[in-house]
Amino acid sequence: MAKKKTVISQEIIVAIVLVVLYLIFRLISADFGKYTTFLSVMDISYYYVLMAIGVAFPLITGGVDLSIGTGMICYALAGGFLIRAFNVPTGFAIVVTILFGLGIGIVNGILISLMGLPPFLATLCTCMITRGLGSVVTGSFAVPWPTAKQANGWFHSIFKIATADKTKLPLGLLWIILLTLIMQFVLAHTRFGRYTIAIGSNKEAAILSGINVKFFHVMVYAVSGLFAGLAAVAYAAVIKTVQPGTGAGMELDAIGGAIVGGVSASGGYGTIYGTVIGAYVIIFLKQGLPYIGFNANMQQIITGLVLIGAVCIDIVKRRVIK
Amino acid sequence: MGEVILTMKDIDKTFPGVHALDHVNFELEKGEVHALMGENGAGKSTLMKVLTGIYTKDSGSIIYEGREVEFHNTHDAQEAGIVIVHQELNMVGDLTVAQNIFIGREFMKGFMIDDRKMIEESRKLFDELHISIDPKARMSDLTVGKQQMCEIAKAISHKAKVIIFDEPSAALTEKEIEDLFAIIRDLRKQNLGIIYISHRMDEIKVITDRVTVMRDGTYVGTLITNDCTKEDIINMMVGRVIYEEPKTHSMVPADAPVVLKVDHLNAGKMVQDVSFELRKGEILGFSGLMGAGRTETARALFGADPKTSGDIYINGQKVEINSPRDAVKHGIGYLSEDRKRYGIVVQKTITENSTLATLEKYMAGLFINKAAEKAVTEQYIKELDTKTPSADQLVVNLSGGNQQKVVIAKWLVRNCDILIFDEPTRGIDVGAKNEIYKLMNRLASEGKSIIMISSEMTEILRMSDRIVVMCEGKKTGEIPIEEATQEAIMDKATRDIA
Amino acid sequence: MKTIKENALVKKLGFNRIILFAILLLMYVVFSLIIPGFAGMARIMSIFNYVYFLGFLALGVTFVIATGGIDFSIGPVMFCCALMSGYMLNTYGVPVVISILASIAIGFCFGCFNGSLVAFVGVPPFIVSMATMNIAKGLGSVFTKTQSVSWPQGNDPSGNGWFRNLVKVGDVPTGLIVFAVAVIILFIVMNHTKAGRYILCLGSNKEAVRLSGVDVRKWQMLAYVICGLMAGIAAIFFVGAYTTVQPGLGDTYNNEAIASCVMGGTSMAGGLASIGGTVIGVFVISLLQEGIMALRMTKEVQMIITGLIVIVFVYADVSARRRKN
Repeated sequence: MAKKKTVISQEIIVAIVLVVLYLIFRLISADFGKYTTFLSVMDISYYYVLMAIGVAFPLITGGVDLSIGTGMICYALAGGFLIRAFNVPTGFAIVVTILFGLGIGIVNGILISLMGLPPFLATLCTCMITRGLGSVVTGSFAVPWPTAKQANGWFHSIFKIATADKTKLPLGLLWIILLTLIMQFVLAHTRFGRYTIAIGSNKEAAILSGINVKFFHVMVYAVSGLFAGLAAVAYAAVIKTVQPGTGAGMELDAIGGAIVGGVSASGGYGTIYGTVIGAYVIIFLKQGLPYIGFNANMQQIITGLVLIGAVCIDIVKRRVIK
Repeated sequence: MGEVILTMKDIDKTFPGVHALDHVNFELEKGEVHALMGENGAGKSTLMKVLTGIYTKDSGSIIYEGREVEFHNTHDAQEAGIVIVHQELNMVGDLTVAQNIFIGREFMKGFMIDDRKMIEESRKLFDELHISIDPKARMSDLTVGKQQMCEIAKAISHKAKVIIFDEPSAALTEKEIEDLFAIIRDLRKQNLGIIYISHRMDEIKVITDRVTVMRDGTYVGTLITNDCTKEDIINMMVGRVIYEEPKTHSMVPADAPVVLKVDHLNAGKMVQDVSFELRKGEILGFSGLMGAGRTETARALFGADPKTSGDIYINGQKVEINSPRDAVKHGIGYLSEDRKRYGIVVQKTITENSTLATLEKYMAGLFINKAAEKAVTEQYIKELDTKTPSADQLVVNLSGGNQQKVVIAKWLVRNCDILIFDEPTRGIDVGAKNEIYKLMNRLASEGKSIIMISSEMTEILRMSDRIVVMCEGKKTGEIPIEEATQEAIMDKATRDIA
Repeated sequence: MKTIKENALVKKLGFNRIILFAILLLMYVVFSLIIPGFAGMARIMSIFNYVYFLGFLALGVTFVIATGGIDFSIGPVMFCCALMSGYMLNTYGVPVVISILASIAIGFCFGCFNGSLVAFVGVPPFIVSMATMNIAKGLGSVFTKTQSVSWPQGNDPSGNGWFRNLVKVGDVPTGLIVFAVAVIILFIVMNHTKAGRYILCLGSNKEAVRLSGVDVRKWQMLAYVICGLMAGIAAIFFVGAYTTVQPGLGDTYNNEAIASCVMGGTSMAGGLASIGGTVIGVFVISLLQEGIMALRMTKEVQMIITGLIVIVFVYADVSARRRKN
């Protein structure tokens, strides 16, 4: 028992990796140290981090949600389409966007928890369906959300706000920190969070303890969908014009972030702050590698290898402990 | 002794092919520790599963606190105050002790779980039980014994009126058992009804007030513990009419060579320094209680689980066995006690299963010679008298006995000289049992050597030429069949507590 | 056709496949009735083009699903193979034979990578798939410097265009012959060789197979290797029919390949696989894609339909198993 205590948690290691990564990029590239670069990296990070926070819950139950990437695009398309086609208030469109995500999440939950489909397969299907839906709804046209200068473009300032002397502040970071704290609290101190861990650790025991496992299992995917909805809003604010048919592959970066951040691929363990730090590692790799002379596409390969590496470490760690 | 809290009357339960409970009666009073005894498969666990709602009874009645009850699941039973402490633990390893104890009924402060109160309450529970466990420790970091204590604490926290202990001491150390007994005495003082299932005769004498003995799914009788001896109980447990003649002398010629020698085999806690020899044409019985380490010994010998040390000699040659592949190469075949998980591939045909270990022999170049493989399968279907419409039948559609024959065929096709039969007749009806026995005898007379692990005393006495007895991972005795009696074996298989 | 014969041969699950085949015919009749000019050789040739590459992908993934695993990196892997080998052909001027072999070799390497991670290290298949998907896309983009790659036309002056004869000679669908040969070979591998036997058995009960003295890790890995090889071959047929590949794409084809398998009666729980069923499934998906195009609907509609099909078929499989237990 005492021996295990000395093992440094993956969260701390990943946090160190994140800092080292940042320092390396800064040392090699002067451009990376610029404030504008920092701002743009932050911009990109919001939707990835939001997706990662959401998908951490299915991962902790030992499942996965592959629909968050294409889902996010689909929800953003739907919201933007409402503004363009029906001139609805932006606030209303945002609510619809988020609820749409929640709805698809619940569908995933029903497919997995009540109908018994394997998680990766069920969400692979909703991944395809959301990808198709987005295009069908918008007639395959790109959907621009209102720009920051337009009257109904106020939502941009949720994520980035200009001060009096025109410096821009990454306000989104504040929301990310806040949501991280809230969701970490939810995971650690509410029934929902506790049962999420219980399902991932020993589902049979959870059922025998009289927990309504089916309901909570649905909720887990609902949360994942909800955060994909939130991510859609962040995406709309940052990317501005949403293209149908995109989004595939984004889920991998989010899932990769969670796993790099210490969420166990076989379920039962994970933290939200770890997930967020892990997601930032992936984002820094993604955004930083081009600054130090790597082909932008190298990051995809590196992300893949990092993901495999993280899981292998997890597997080896479990074997050693046993 | 107090008033009756629980009465089970005429409980009857039939599973396909097995009459598991035949009009069983059981009665529990407040403030007593009531032992439920019987050999493996006597129906103790089934009876308790009927009580706690895991199985539904076919007929009979359960009267609890003066009312007839019927629980539909363990949760219902818990609500009513009947709690079972399982032999296999039902713990969420990634949560803490306190979180486990109160799982499903957490204390809340608004929408937040009140972990502090849960820790406090757990601490109180542990204090009450005089055990020291940190409620904040992760469950999977605890020893099995401590985990068991947590299960007990959880049971008590349910405001239980009846607690069932299903072989609680199986995984505990002596010190832990003493602690357990202290707790049980305490609970008795608080006027709870306690059902204690165990194989360990000495524990029964120490802790219980009454003993109910079951045998083959029937109720044999109830004794006051203080008024009876260990021998009385053993006699009740094994005292069936033995319709199978026990073997009287070994069938192995005196000069038969040793084909397998296991020297100081170690593998974890369940296999400690086990040594034995197996001779050509011999049936070596492995006796012992559940959890004595017999299956673990077999699996380590077969390479299915890693071993820490020990040498294996086949026909005098030292061999390296690190995987089942190695074992099979050296002519060892293993019939697992858990056929469905380890023996057969249920969704596949008899043919596919029969040649699974021998496929190389039935290849014509790159392709499987299906005609040859079917021919050999049919030959063994005939030889073993497997009841099936054809060799193309899926194994899932066969009865237990016939599935067992398919597994045997798999190893006979491989022409293995050493066969390990782990509980070969578990879940098999009487007629099929006899066939398996005949088959084993024939194999032995043909010069195959057999290790037979069995928890059925009559089976051991009827089949073995020699008997190895194990207890708690150690070999505790070796008895030639000429000297073997049920009592002698039981004596070596049970551990005395000082 | 050949597929009917296979139905007759496999008695156990033949019924489902006969139904599926009937659905296929019915779909064709319906499309022919509602879409003017749908019936006819041109459409059929176009459907065949889709059948070839999707067929190879689906046949490969059938082996993986038979082990109880999954591989949804095959689409991007196929693209990666086509991109890298095509780039070699165009930029480095290697002979087309070498490019074709390179494509197959690249697929083989991906198969080895996936297989060893799943079988020897014990990484969950879906994680491996995700990572490989990224790696394949990235590799394809990096290698080609993010440019699309066009394979030579049939009349290309370099003479490299002959490889298109694999797909079509004039109006003769030669690809069908190649595909049929592959189907027959893989049918034999699945049902008449040690590899197929062990793959199916370990998909059903890995531990029982291990305890029978079989090196299960080797055979489990082999399933992924076959899958990778097939993706490499599929790449050739893709460019043979559609000429151009773009980096960063390919994931829609995973889903269609998996859909073909589950429709054909290959169980997601492993142990049960049908090459013949997969082939019919491939035809159904290809016909569907052609029909949807003819109806002037988008690829996206097809994705939605494919997604729903998979859900329905997997649910049917899951609930059938539940009833049995």
